[in-house]
Amino acid sequence: MNTSPQNSKASAPPASVPAPVPAPARLAGGAQQKLLAFASLIVLLVGFSLASPNFFQVSNIMAILQATSVNGVLAVAATAVILTGGIDLSIGTLMTFCAVIAGVALTWAGLPLPLGVLAAIGAGALAGLASGTFVARMKIPPFIATLGMMLVLKGLSLIITGARPIYFNDTPGYTDISQGSLIGMVLPGLPVPNGVLVLFLVAGGMAFVLSRTVLGRYTYALGSNEEAVRLSGVNTNAWKMAVYALAGAICGIAGILISSRLNSAQPALGLGYELDAIAAVVIGGTSLSGGRGTVLGTLIGALIMSVLTNGLRILSVAPEWQTVVTGAIIILAVYADQLRRQRG
Amino acid sequence: MITRRMILGTLSAAALLASTGFTLAQDKMYIPLISKGFQHQFWQAVKAGADKAAAEFGVEVTFEGPDNETMVDRQIDMLSAALAKKPAAIGFAALDSQAATPLLKQAEAAKIPVIAFDSGVDSDIPAATAATDNKAAAALAAEKMAALIGDEGDVALVVHDQTSRTGVDRRDGFVEWIAANKPKIQIVAIEYGGGDHLKSTEITKTLLQAHPNLKGIFGSNEGSAIGVANGARETGKKVVIIGYDSGAAQKQAIRDGLMAGAITQNPVGIGYETVKAAVMAAKGEPIIPTIDTGFYFYDKSNIDSPEIAAVLYD
Amino acid sequence: MRDLVCMERIEKRFPGVHALKGVGFDLRAGEVHALMGENGAGKSTLMKILSGVYQPDSGRILVEGREVVLPSPKAAQDRGIGIIHQELALMKDLTVAQNIFIGREPRLSFGRIDEARQNREAAELFASLNIDIDPRRPVEGLSIARQQMVEIAKALSARSKVLIMDEPTAALTDSEIAELFTMIGKLKSEGVGIVYISHKMDEIRRISDRVTVMRDGEYVGTVEAADTPIARIIEMMVGRKLGDETVDVPDLRDAETALEVVGLTRGREIRDVGFSLKKGEILGFAGLMGAGRTEVARAIFGADPREGGEIFVHGRKVDVRSPADAVKAGIGYLSEDRKHFGLALGMDVSDNIALASLSSYANRVGQLDEGAMRRTARDFIARLGIRTPSDRQEVRLLSGGNQQKVVIAKWLLRDCDILIFDEPTRGIDIGAKSEIYRLLADLAAEGKAIIVISSELPEILRVSHRIAVMCEGRLTGVLPGGAGTTQEQIMQLATDRSGLGQATRQEEPA
Repeated sequence: MNTSPQNSKASAPPASVPAPVPAPARLAGGAQQKLLAFASLIVLLVGFSLASPNFFQVSNIMAILQATSVNGVLAVAATAVILTGGIDLSIGTLMTFCAVIAGVALTWAGLPLPLGVLAAIGAGALAGLASGTFVARMKIPPFIATLGMMLVLKGLSLIITGARPIYFNDTPGYTDISQGSLIGMVLPGLPVPNGVLVLFLVAGGMAFVLSRTVLGRYTYALGSNEEAVRLSGVNTNAWKMAVYALAGAICGIAGILISSRLNSAQPALGLGYELDAIAAVVIGGTSLSGGRGTVLGTLIGALIMSVLTNGLRILSVAPEWQTVVTGAIIILAVYADQLRRQRG
Repeated sequence: MITRRMILGTLSAAALLASTGFTLAQDKMYIPLISKGFQHQFWQAVKAGADKAAAEFGVEVTFEGPDNETMVDRQIDMLSAALAKKPAAIGFAALDSQAATPLLKQAEAAKIPVIAFDSGVDSDIPAATAATDNKAAAALAAEKMAALIGDEGDVALVVHDQTSRTGVDRRDGFVEWIAANKPKIQIVAIEYGGGDHLKSTEITKTLLQAHPNLKGIFGSNEGSAIGVANGARETGKKVVIIGYDSGAAQKQAIRDGLMAGAITQNPVGIGYETVKAAVMAAKGEPIIPTIDTGFYFYDKSNIDSPEIAAVLYD
Repeated sequence: MRDLVCMERIEKRFPGVHALKGVGFDLRAGEVHALMGENGAGKSTLMKILSGVYQPDSGRILVEGREVVLPSPKAAQDRGIGIIHQELALMKDLTVAQNIFIGREPRLSFGRIDEARQNREAAELFASLNIDIDPRRPVEGLSIARQQMVEIAKALSARSKVLIMDEPTAALTDSEIAELFTMIGKLKSEGVGIVYISHKMDEIRRISDRVTVMRDGEYVGTVEAADTPIARIIEMMVGRKLGDETVDVPDLRDAETALEVVGLTRGREIRDVGFSLKKGEILGFAGLMGAGRTEVARAIFGADPREGGEIFVHGRKVDVRSPADAVKAGIGYLSEDRKHFGLALGMDVSDNIALASLSSYANRVGQLDEGAMRRTARDFIARLGIRTPSDRQEVRLLSGGNQQKVVIAKWLLRDCDILIFDEPTRGIDIGAKSEIYRLLADLAAEGKAIIVISSELPEILRVSHRIAVMCEGRLTGVLPGGAGTTQEQIMQLATDRSGLGQATRQEEPA
């Protein structure tokens, strides 16, 4: 991961040290990895385009982007938590729980649209805060704490809804949140669905938080060496809880996206989505032990996964082989990353 | 420290309550139903039918099933736990008949009558089977599809599961009918979406992309059918959709004309007939071994007819 | 004597670093061959090549006259080459015997492990080495010294003819060191060749036969230990002469008291410890391993809980419950274990310096002023002479001394005027050590109040204005600094167990 110019240590005189390094050097640190992931993405795109004339068409690219939106947003949430050296297994069912809360607020309570959206995001943040409390204050290992939360939230969704979906037929404009196209209204030739827009906004926001804010810096620092951060006089528990809460809020956004896509909050969905999200994060080069990774990498990782699923289907690869290939690609991507790391 | 002790205390109190709950249930005739699922609307309708019968015959019915139709092991655990409570009779919808055989033999030895429901059990142990003939139902779906697309063209299937009995039967029933009767219809793709609405949506969009001439898609259960309808709506392509089961979204899609029609089983009837047969078997009364609970095709024209409305659920 | 090992023209490059430049090294049977050099000189890399951890880019390795390739640690072990790493590599939850035989467990039928035989052989091994450790106990809870003994036993059980020891005495008390040296003598007499990496000159003189010095990845020379003065070896290591410097004790009679600790207590580790520290003063904390010095420091800093005691900063009582509280009161702690407790190794110099002060670089929405952070970092790089190619360099790529300076910069930036240094020069080479000493003196001269915890008496005498000595959790005495105090006086207090249960004596400087 050493991409900054490195002179022989001893020969660099202390006074003449300040060597101008390009400003986003932190991003450049992961640049190689992203280059690798990005190259794989391009290879997949080119390969599928050559293999089928039906692949590289605006409508299909839009379909791929939209298919990335929910998993992508969840993966962005997972990235933050994984960077602290933790893991969040509850993101899938939390997404569903937030969708249910949106349904309760909009369909049952008849609140206006913005309040329903806020309720879902707020519920996500609170649930994330709960996970964060278990992990940071009660010192429950993240895997266990969020595994528990995953089940609790799944159960709560079923209890609240009575195991029945809540529909959004009474909320005009709800489906437009992911299916409409603001960009398409401005540029008719580019009908990018709003869900994709939301994904890019969320990713951009998280990239900003991670690279430019105190919260982001502590996120990396916690994953790099939590004890050193604590001994620096930083209230590590509070920051860690903040990261989980932020991830939870983003799951709330994912909940809005999926329910607006399906025009309903489906209480039984959500299990398994966390693994897809974590896979995207890992393919994007984020280390599961924390401290290393970027949102851009995650975004590329999520895109690789949807391009792969889409392309294999278009090529009419048998469904059972699709899963084999996807699994193999995950292993290959992480192995390539390992190789690159070892070479330094 | 106090709080920790309080939590522990509450937990153990809850455990105590839970265990006494079971003993209370022993007063009435106790019939557990082990289903293939629980959260899905379909199973909720089966449960409603079972509850109705339970009230009518004055028996205690419990209803449980695993989260999804691949969790054979979870279901076996549930069956084994249910048997351990020595019920009067048991209702069972096997995800995998072979896997359940030892437990069914155990039930037979303990003289606990078993009533198979939904898809049936590959064994002669069950005293009766209350089920939809899934293959015949899917064949009806194929027949309707053929008529709607003019007996020729490309068709695809979005199936909810590759291994479960219902998934296999509905797929084969559809495919075999087409193969036997309509040589000009090509089945170009069979994909599996796990009954997940979103995944089935993405599959449908890809299918429409990969096969521009696709004329029809069959969605093999509620989640798959809604996914197919969603995918078609999002791409804006005209395609004939035949669904399966009901639910508010699917009914709406049929009313809107987005979906041409759907097969409905009689889930309430399945639940009701299962409990009824179980009660009779437990009392030693004679029962018919194969209870056909029936299926129907419904579309815009008959969706509100009393006969159909009675077996649809939201 | 024939050569047990001969390494010729070894080359090794890492990305951006030419770690070994045609280095040669040889080892005879039955000798202790000291390998010396500053950190980053290439000693560890060379030994990692010999023990199969790294592969050389070019060069030859001969073991007992035959050329060998050592693609893995296992291959090196099979050739009779064992290494005892500086960071001990034992599995805490396994027993001593299980650790010794890991990977070579004696088997019974059906893949079962013969635990009885394993324990018996381990016990025999310990008996032959005159060590009293129960092979069946878990490694967890053994002292560092004992863990090291286990490591040595592990290497010997693999019938090692070559034993590489990387700073084996870094964590040992004097009596333990004596024990270790007895063992080394015994191994020597049995014909084992030992490569001994250490920074401690007195040890080198005591046990080694030959000394090879490396500098900047190059071979400097090999000399006979017996007839080479230490000054000559140091000269070879640093490439220049070092003067003998001593401490100037300033007159602090009128100085304000910066920190006062009264009745600090926790269980058996800290027993009623009280002392005061003035502005501009360097208070050395001496004592044996386990005397409770680090525990006192961590309790003052709020890193560990305390049962009793009060802390006054500039005369005001402060309630320190967490490191965050301590930092707010202006107390900074530089841990002995920089890698685990001091630095976020994967992050860059600039981030690490700002780590304790991030919020002062943030605007209201938490956005960081990257430019200001980097300017500050560059100021400190220049001011403390941190050798790094850029403020964007990841700190894990810096040498120990420069990492230490980064931690110092972190606390200076946070405006901490009370600084607790725990083993500030551990793992730092001689040249950089004197730089750290000078830095400590400069900081004191600027008015910082400084506590230095050190296990090396020469270091304590070299930097302290006053010397507090601890034994078994008690403060057994405070000695004046400067030339008047001897190592013997300190050792007497450090082994003074008479005060058990009595109140702590406290002496003020004359």
